[in-house]
Amino acid sequence: MAEDLTSLITGLGFPNIEAFLALMFLVLAIFGVIVVISTLRPVLSMFPYTYPNARVRARIGRIFNEKQFQEIIEAGSIEEVKNYLRGYPDYAKYIDQYPLEKALDTQLAENYDLIARITPENSRAAFRFLLKKWDIKNIKSIIIAKEAGLTAEETIDLIVPFGDLTDKLDALIDADNINEILNTMEGTEYTPILEDAIPIYQETGKLLPLEASLDKYLLKNLLTTVATPEDDNTSHLKTYVGNMVDGANLKIILRAKVDGLKYEDIEPYMISAGYQIREWKLKDLMESEDVAGVVNGLEGTEYAPLLAEALATYNETGSISDFEIALDNNVVETAKKISLKNQFGIGPMIGFLSRKEKEIKNLKIIVRGKREEGFTPAMIKEMLV
Amino acid sequence: MVEVALGTALAAIGAGMAVGFAGLGSGLGQGIAAAGSVGAVAEDEDMFARGIIFTALPETQAIYGFLIAILLMVFTIMANKALPVTTGLVAIGAGAAIGFAGLGSGMGQGITAASSVGAVVENEDMFARGIIFTALSETQAIYGFLIAILLMVFGGILG
Repeated sequence: MAEDLTSLITGLGFPNIEAFLALMFLVLAIFGVIVVISTLRPVLSMFPYTYPNARVRARIGRIFNEKQFQEIIEAGSIEEVKNYLRGYPDYAKYIDQYPLEKALDTQLAENYDLIARITPENSRAAFRFLLKKWDIKNIKSIIIAKEAGLTAEETIDLIVPFGDLTDKLDALIDADNINEILNTMEGTEYTPILEDAIPIYQETGKLLPLEASLDKYLLKNLLTTVATPEDDNTSHLKTYVGNMVDGANLKIILRAKVDGLKYEDIEPYMISAGYQIREWKLKDLMESEDVAGVVNGLEGTEYAPLLAEALATYNETGSISDFEIALDNNVVETAKKISLKNQFGIGPMIGFLSRKEKEIKNLKIIVRGKREEGFTPAMIKEMLV
Repeated sequence: MVEVALGTALAAIGAGMAVGFAGLGSGLGQGIAAAGSVGAVAEDEDMFARGIIFTALPETQAIYGFLIAILLMVFTIMANKALPVTTGLVAIGAGAAIGFAGLGSGMGQGITAASSVGAVVENEDMFARGIIFTALSETQAIYGFLIAILLMVFGGILG
């Protein structure tokens, strides 16, 4: 047999069997390297997400289900709601430390903070930037508190101890007036926004321009952070952020149309680099005559069917809350789709944040319902998102 | 310098491939499963034992590769005889069979194990189903192991 093999190999033009084997090994080695690299690449792209996803999925498992929500809704008082939440370690550590709503916000912020810390390098910048939403919430709360004449102790109850401004929070809370707040904020990224928006707020007493300017800063820069996706994961993150940006733009346009505002009034608050709804389309929508015009102008986009349904309700009630709910639900649905489609990547983290936001929103609705007189469990359940 | 026959050298390559590639797959798979388990344990300390079980599953591929490599070494290299080239080629075939099967199986099992750890930490009832899904990827390594044994038996290395 060995002789047959040798004669076959020499018949192929090789001087001896060693030369043939050397060539065969070279070919096999190249083939092996190609196989190994092409097999390893997708596996290695999943690897950085394994640890964060396991942590996130553990927290997904602790999100309240329908039965648990029903039990909370049926609580007889705020104190009973607190007692219920004390039974869950995620909430227990904050319930006795802070007023209830601050405890809920802090728990949510803690989850944002965790994700920003454990997410892989290529998506960390976006999640870190998302943490600024707590800075923005705190700035708004402090300004409102100062204008309402709240004491430092009362203001502290509104502040969430997360974000980049934590070292300035004490000074901001102790500030005597808005000018002192501006001085304390000097040198931060928020100074130019506040310098423009605070005089308008003081002049008109309306918080919306200030809120819109701060929200615009957050979303615009968030969109810039995810603008150039490196891979599937960052591309999904861009889709999620993009939907948030489009939703925010549409909400502002719809609110402005209800108030009869013109293009020039709305334009400063728009995030011009929208995601699906680009600059030219936004301009068209801003120039629409009324709410119906905005909805009709969205024809051909995925927002048209969503908002068309809400338009019918708006025509009956005159309330734009259905539009806002539809747009918020669209972001939640996007997160859900991403979490199902991208289970080994960024999906679980996006899905978790979206579900956690929803949980906290619902808990706050329940708390407010319990605080007000005359809200039955059935009425509260109806209000949940 | 010790003179090594070409056939014996080929058998050595076969043994190296068996344990090398199977170990690579097993190591990667175990690393992925361990990363998931560490994440789960960080959230829930009771997950430690279950995390260890899922992390240990992708170890088997390395064991198969190690076994085949030992057999190849005992029956060829350590047998102190000059092996024919054809027997050496059979040894490479056996090593490649368990090596590559172990590589794919180990990585696949690691991914499923990490995913199962995530599912169990989310919902405890998923443990048994997670084990079943994770064990499915074992079959490819078993095929590779069986073929490696058959190659050695009928290729004149064993028996």
